[in-house]
Amino acid sequence: MNEVINTDVKTLLTNKPIPSVFEQRANELLCGSSPLMAVVGDLKLDGKYGESLLLVCADRLIAIDHLHENGGIMMLFEDIEKAEVKRMYGNALFRAKTNDGKNVDLIRFTYSATDLCDAVGDFIRHIKDGDDIDEQTEVVKITYDNLRCFCPKCGRKLASPNADCLNCKGKSKIASILYGYIKPHIRMLIISIILSVITTAMALVPPYITKMMVDDIIPQKNMQFLIYTIVALLGVYLLQYSLGALRAYLLRLAGDKIIADLKKDIYAKAQFLPMKFYDKTSTGSIINRINSDTTQLQNFMLRITQEAVVQLFMMIGIIIIMVIMNWKLALFSLIPVPIVAILSRFFGRKLGPMYRRLWRRMSSISTILSDTIPSIKVIKSFTNENNAINKFNRYVDDWMREDKTTAKISSIFPNAITFFVTCGSLVIWFVGGSYVINDNTDLTLGVLVSFISYASMFYTPVNFFASLSDSYQNALASTEKILDIINAEPEHNFGEGNSPKFFEGKIEFRNVNFSFDRSKKILNDVSFVIQPGETVGIVGTTGSGKSTIINLLMRFYDDYEGEIFVDDINIKDIDMDFFRSKIGFVQQEPLMFRDTIFNNIAYSLPGAHVDQVINAADIANAHTFISRLPDAYDTTLGERGVGLSGGEKQRLSIARAVLKNPNLMIFDEATSAVDSETEKLIQDAIDRVIRGRTTFMIAHRLSTLRKANRILVVDKGRIIENGSHDELMALKGKYYKLIQIQSMSEKVAADKQAENFE
Amino acid sequence: MPRNFVDENTVKLTVNDKIYIDVELYTGEKFTMLEPHRLFPVSGLMKYISLLDEEGNEQMIIRDIERLMPESKEALLNCLNERYMIPKITRLIKRTEKFEIWMWTVDTDRGEFTFEIINSYQSIKILYDGRILIKDGNDNRYEIPDLYALDKRSIKLILPDV
Repeated sequence: MNEVINTDVKTLLTNKPIPSVFEQRANELLCGSSPLMAVVGDLKLDGKYGESLLLVCADRLIAIDHLHENGGIMMLFEDIEKAEVKRMYGNALFRAKTNDGKNVDLIRFTYSATDLCDAVGDFIRHIKDGDDIDEQTEVVKITYDNLRCFCPKCGRKLASPNADCLNCKGKSKIASILYGYIKPHIRMLIISIILSVITTAMALVPPYITKMMVDDIIPQKNMQFLIYTIVALLGVYLLQYSLGALRAYLLRLAGDKIIADLKKDIYAKAQFLPMKFYDKTSTGSIINRINSDTTQLQNFMLRITQEAVVQLFMMIGIIIIMVIMNWKLALFSLIPVPIVAILSRFFGRKLGPMYRRLWRRMSSISTILSDTIPSIKVIKSFTNENNAINKFNRYVDDWMREDKTTAKISSIFPNAITFFVTCGSLVIWFVGGSYVINDNTDLTLGVLVSFISYASMFYTPVNFFASLSDSYQNALASTEKILDIINAEPEHNFGEGNSPKFFEGKIEFRNVNFSFDRSKKILNDVSFVIQPGETVGIVGTTGSGKSTIINLLMRFYDDYEGEIFVDDINIKDIDMDFFRSKIGFVQQEPLMFRDTIFNNIAYSLPGAHVDQVINAADIANAHTFISRLPDAYDTTLGERGVGLSGGEKQRLSIARAVLKNPNLMIFDEATSAVDSETEKLIQDAIDRVIRGRTTFMIAHRLSTLRKANRILVVDKGRIIENGSHDELMALKGKYYKLIQIQSMSEKVAADKQAENFE
Repeated sequence: MPRNFVDENTVKLTVNDKIYIDVELYTGEKFTMLEPHRLFPVSGLMKYISLLDEEGNEQMIIRDIERLMPESKEALLNCLNERYMIPKITRLIKRTEKFEIWMWTVDTDRGEFTFEIINSYQSIKILYDGRILIKDGNDNRYEIPDLYALDKRSIKLILPDV
């Protein structure tokens, strides 16, 4: 009996191997039918974790779960009215509704299997509609292929089968990141190290001269030699500090260059990250990474490349001198070293997680700032200043609490180290002092004093290396956040270099499904074809998926199922820069930069001639109001276009879109936030712009769509109506109802207006 | 449109189909196949339950589950327990990391499960009441009601991420 499933598994579409415990029952229920696809669920019907199985054949489906009677059920498609995923919260059911209206729960699963079950539901619907089985199996196969598209190395989802994993390919580890930024400035850093070595070597001279003065020059009362020695010391100090100043300058220069490179790279990388990254990452956290984390990393890099080398050199030099002076005392001075090593490891482990938590708190504060400061108008208008202050204070207190805990450990740490190091000096005093007092070795007072000086110098690098773990942990926390951006997958540009010669503007959506996250499906099996030059209106209630269609067409999100074609070429196979350069996009809320009006319009076509900009402004009905401004095109706008009305900003954004002469125009609720008079101005501009171009218009005011050749009605992520205004009115469906509702409300508004006039 | 807040004492709820309930008001008015949705699934599990019809239109709101009659309360809680799955983590068995993707194997009140956390900074949230909410790579949710009630090893493994 097991043979049916076992043989088919090789060709069977499945997300996981079929659990062997289900094979027997599955084969019994299959009664010889061959399954085309399978979904292995990760929940049992009672909501406990465990496996379940859904098998789909050409005419039936089989569900296996121990809660089903006899462990499984079989249903023929002809007995099913519909089968679909019922998304709940953190889990979902695949349910079938029988022809007599009864709901049957087939399998239960977490969100991990929702995409597959959606595809299976669509498959059953298409088969019941009489569509071709092979064709529909191919459609489902794409979903399975997407699911199987995981990098074997890191397990991250790939953009397409056999695609390179950008996550692994471009993976940079902390060491290689450090090296990458240090390499261009290596000469400057090497010079700096050489200078450090010289100054350090010079620092080793004075204690030796001290020994000479104590043991020889002063007891022998040799005044002339004393002067020579002091002059020599003066020379040493002068050279030491002059070279020190030069070194500090070179270090500062190298450090600034490193941090500048780092900031530039992170910002550049951030430009090419997909919208999904920004949906999930707060602006404050990104700003925090570019500003403070890079500084943190720079400090650490300089410590490692400079201080560490110098301190190491110093440590070795001192050990050699101490051994030469008195090897027994030298051994005593090494006693604290293992204790310091153990302590720094212990504290390092404690500090690492603390710095990570501290970073989270600091990032939350940045998020609050980037959220509230630009919204200060809203805060003031709701007199919410005190609440905003309280919320901010709460976050700062939270950070302070965390910092207090970290401060305890990071303060105890260096002092504990210094304590043990000081104890080391005491040991040398005791042992060396005993030798001098008992006079049983050749150790003189001068040698002991000089030795103590070297010992205190020796403990400086020991202290340094011990405290390095503190700054290492701090830098590690920052580096991880920087890596988050540097290693994030950028937008995929599979069609790089592929710029079709002609861009006619035929658009086709084929079985497109999309969800921002798996808890809610936004687009459901969307298919339509738009011919070049057509003006298409997209209507539907808020949240129906209108803007998502545009977002996918603009390639803001690439991880949808199904395919989108422009002039019969998959948009993923077209060079992204070329593709987007052919689209003019006018958003509901026009975004302006803090720059002149001229530069804001010319943003779409850098280097545009003045005539071109004026012409674009003219087409967009913006020239008249611009020319009336005191500074006209030189008017500098405030942040996000402060200083202009909504309608004015909208006309500038239309001018900006027009300037690059796109083949495809998209208007996303362009007139939704303006008064009737401004709407007319904008509408006139739009009418001029869309001539000869394929145009998508999302509009709430349906009256603005009457000129559209075709109207797509979107409802709950599906295209439910598709046709001209007259066709849809004759259909008396959703569009007809929307028109009716809007006509009524427009009439009421007009009546009210008339009353007011009276 | 004014919201229809029902008086919990004058309503009778019965389970219809696992995640749907039928409602009978004291006036005799009946609603079938309503789907309960928590309006505050994170901050108020027992308050403000919105009942939606098959079209997704809200028919009524129940302010406080505790005020319902015992049978109705039980029916509604059964429905909500079916619909809302936020497993409570009782132990972190294993935590590994590779390329900034964390793999957690946990014991929960619904059994043992392994899941991925793509970005721990965004996917793990600590709330002011001490609860920790976790979202995995597939957008499933999990909860740690009290971190410090877990065993020492679990706390040690989780602490760096919160």
